[in-house]
Amino acid sequence: MPSSTSNFKRILRLPRLFFRQPTEAESVHGGPPLEFERPIPQIPWRGITVIVVLFVIAAASAWEFYCRSIGYGPTLNDNEDLWTITRRRAQPESIVIIGDSRGWYDLDLDELQKGLGKRPVQLAMAGSCAYPVLADLADDKTFHGTIICSFVPGLFFAPPGTPPMERGEKAVRRSHTQSPAQRGSEYLAMPLEEHVAFLKQQDLTLEQLLKRLPIPNRLGALVPPRLPPYFGTVDRERRARMIEECARGGKLATTIQQIWLPIFTPPPPPSYVPKDVFMAKMKDAIEKRFGDTIAAVEKLRARGGKVVFVRLPVSGGLKALEDRTTPRDQTWDPLLQAAGAPGIYFEDFPELAGFNCPEWSHLSAGDSVEFSKRLVPHLRAALGM
Amino acid sequence: MLFNSLTFIVFFAVVVTLYWSIRSWNARKNLLVTASYIFYGAWNPPFAALLFSTTAMDFWLGRQIAKAKNRSSRRAWLVASVCMNLSMLGFFKYGNFLLENFQWLLARIEVIYHPPHLDILLPVGISFYTFHSLSYTLDIYRGVLQPTRSLRDFVLAVSFFPQLVAGPIVRAGDFLPQLVRPPRLRIGQFLWGLSLMTLGLFEKIVLADTMLAGSADRIFGYAGPLVALDSWLGVIAFAGQIFFDFAGYSTCAIGAALCLGFHLKDNFRFPYAAIGFSDFWRRWHISLSTFLRDYLYIPLGGNRVGWTRAAINLVIVMFLGGLWHGAAWTFVVWGLLHGSYLVIEHASRALIGERAWTENFAVKLLLGLVTYGAVCLAWVFFRASDFTIATRMLRGMFGGHPHGDAILATREMLQIGIVTFFMMLAHWSLRETNIETAVTRLPRWIVTAAWALMACAIILTQGSSNAFIYFQF
Repeated sequence: MPSSTSNFKRILRLPRLFFRQPTEAESVHGGPPLEFERPIPQIPWRGITVIVVLFVIAAASAWEFYCRSIGYGPTLNDNEDLWTITRRRAQPESIVIIGDSRGWYDLDLDELQKGLGKRPVQLAMAGSCAYPVLADLADDKTFHGTIICSFVPGLFFAPPGTPPMERGEKAVRRSHTQSPAQRGSEYLAMPLEEHVAFLKQQDLTLEQLLKRLPIPNRLGALVPPRLPPYFGTVDRERRARMIEECARGGKLATTIQQIWLPIFTPPPPPSYVPKDVFMAKMKDAIEKRFGDTIAAVEKLRARGGKVVFVRLPVSGGLKALEDRTTPRDQTWDPLLQAAGAPGIYFEDFPELAGFNCPEWSHLSAGDSVEFSKRLVPHLRAALGM
Repeated sequence: MLFNSLTFIVFFAVVVTLYWSIRSWNARKNLLVTASYIFYGAWNPPFAALLFSTTAMDFWLGRQIAKAKNRSSRRAWLVASVCMNLSMLGFFKYGNFLLENFQWLLARIEVIYHPPHLDILLPVGISFYTFHSLSYTLDIYRGVLQPTRSLRDFVLAVSFFPQLVAGPIVRAGDFLPQLVRPPRLRIGQFLWGLSLMTLGLFEKIVLADTMLAGSADRIFGYAGPLVALDSWLGVIAFAGQIFFDFAGYSTCAIGAALCLGFHLKDNFRFPYAAIGFSDFWRRWHISLSTFLRDYLYIPLGGNRVGWTRAAINLVIVMFLGGLWHGAAWTFVVWGLLHGSYLVIEHASRALIGERAWTENFAVKLLLGLVTYGAVCLAWVFFRASDFTIATRMLRGMFGGHPHGDAILATREMLQIGIVTFFMMLAHWSLRETNIETAVTRLPRWIVTAAWALMACAIILTQGSSNAFIYFQF
């Protein structure tokens, strides 16, 4: 090795070693075509491929047959790309439904179109907070239509960083950033999902199947609550309909009822935040949501837009839980008062109050049609039509 | 366009069919250029123009370097190319990072400055294609490559879609010779390419996204203190996730290129069976580590300039390697940690020398596990989005939160344990060989069953088109 002194000048003359002589292994363009060639395993590839293809076709067919035999049917997966495609349908004067899964399942587009004169654009999302979409529409200077906002207090006041907020934010973000490739994939996926029952991301992916394994958790482990299994279908307009098996009541509906209770029960304060600090933060977050909502509604109204809040039916133990944890006089009433917006609370009207939700949170497909028919006059009155 | 998307399946089927149906080699190359720009433009069409302009500039600069009569003008043209490429990378990738740090520095001397936040959208894969392109002018300058006369060939070398956005970093000197003569369609090669694509997708969709990503995300996203078990499992999950994610992409890229008759070198060689950190970097992201070695470490003097200077060179290279991954100090710390590991290893080798006991399998296994543990520690800084999270994680890992929370379900813990166990088993079994040799030696029925089961698992998993981690770099 040369001494550091004798090498000193050369070291400083950067990039000295760019002058390194090429090694023999480094070929020159135009030389032999390949200095490197990947080895290819010498095995009977044709035979193996035929067996693999036949096996995969057989396995996929068997899985499809099994899934249909246990009650699954083909339906679209609701995701940010389908939402974005639907969001693009919203015209400046459209009627748009936003909010949670109750707005998604309980409102029938045909009945609303008949009653309101325009076919609404369905932008409500399961388990999501309405605010990010409301704010996005308020910021969309071209939009001056009508918003029907489904209101579930636990979701509407979900603080930033929680799954309901993130769901809404993710969809809005995708609508601003969707690439041509993402749009293309969604258009290719739709016909497949309309014909193949096992393509059900909510329920039949490997991840979801693993989640169903009955493995007990450690004592005190803070594991997220289980989400409900498949109980509805979605079409290209994002109209959700409860499947018959769930609408009939019985085991599926009962299972889902028991899943809603932990999901809608407010979580305890995290172990690492003192209770009073946590409660103060929650109070601030709720107050901020009030303020932000009012600002968004005013922005829309200033352009001639309209917003109507709707509290859709809820039943059984879930209704008792919601009434207890998010009472009307602390959520619904102050929001309407502060926003100065009209609202329709299903319990205020006998013709809307008599519906039963089979799994406590959503109306059956048949009931959603009747409910929407009965809701139309109230919507017209609220919107001054 | 993601490999794990329906758009890509259709795109690839169309490209492969057309490619092998066309007789003219020129027309086939034109098709590949068009396909590559469609592939890239499907993310954000305007960025395709940026890609082309960088490529065209380097093509022209490469010719200027070759034409230059004396060393100083050759160097000037090279400096122009390096500046052009690095300033492009700097603007898009490090613009806001530099401004924020400038603001922080001014604040130290009590100058309040509020720079405008530049709303810069990072072009996908800019770090990769910049290096593809830069390797061309660097190699011409070094005299190991002659400039190509065909702009189209160079455009294809830089933008060839399998390796365009997340590597491997294919040097122009490795790719351009493959454009001289048309490859022949060989069924074995084509089907091996398809099976590699299946393996890559299996690694990404099933192992990285389904089995590990959820746990790693929850652990690193948790705002509170965690018990040691959960902290360690989160880091181990991420170690597996990033390997399967990135190695999966590289394997797909190699497979897709093979289907089109092109040969890309390995980017990973069972890195978690590495014994020592030099060995690790000969096995992990090989195309980047060799790029940094040839174009940075060796020009700095490499290890021929005395021990101290070589150690400094290693740290400089790993510092820049860390920064290459992302515009954040956490990446720098990750790089510096690896630089320190390498320095410690070199020092240990110098002290201990070649001893017979170091060849003992148990010692090798122990050293391998120590390497894996140290690599996992460094991953904490790579994955954590800030130092608060990294510190909290490290504290949890070393028992700093005995009463912390446990947030992983038993199922998740089992998934991490089982996948990591089999990953380590595979890496240690194959560390002295390669996948082609292993496939050749395995009974046919095992190869068939493995391929079929991987394909079924991909279909069952469905995938939700999650982006590959390395796209952000």
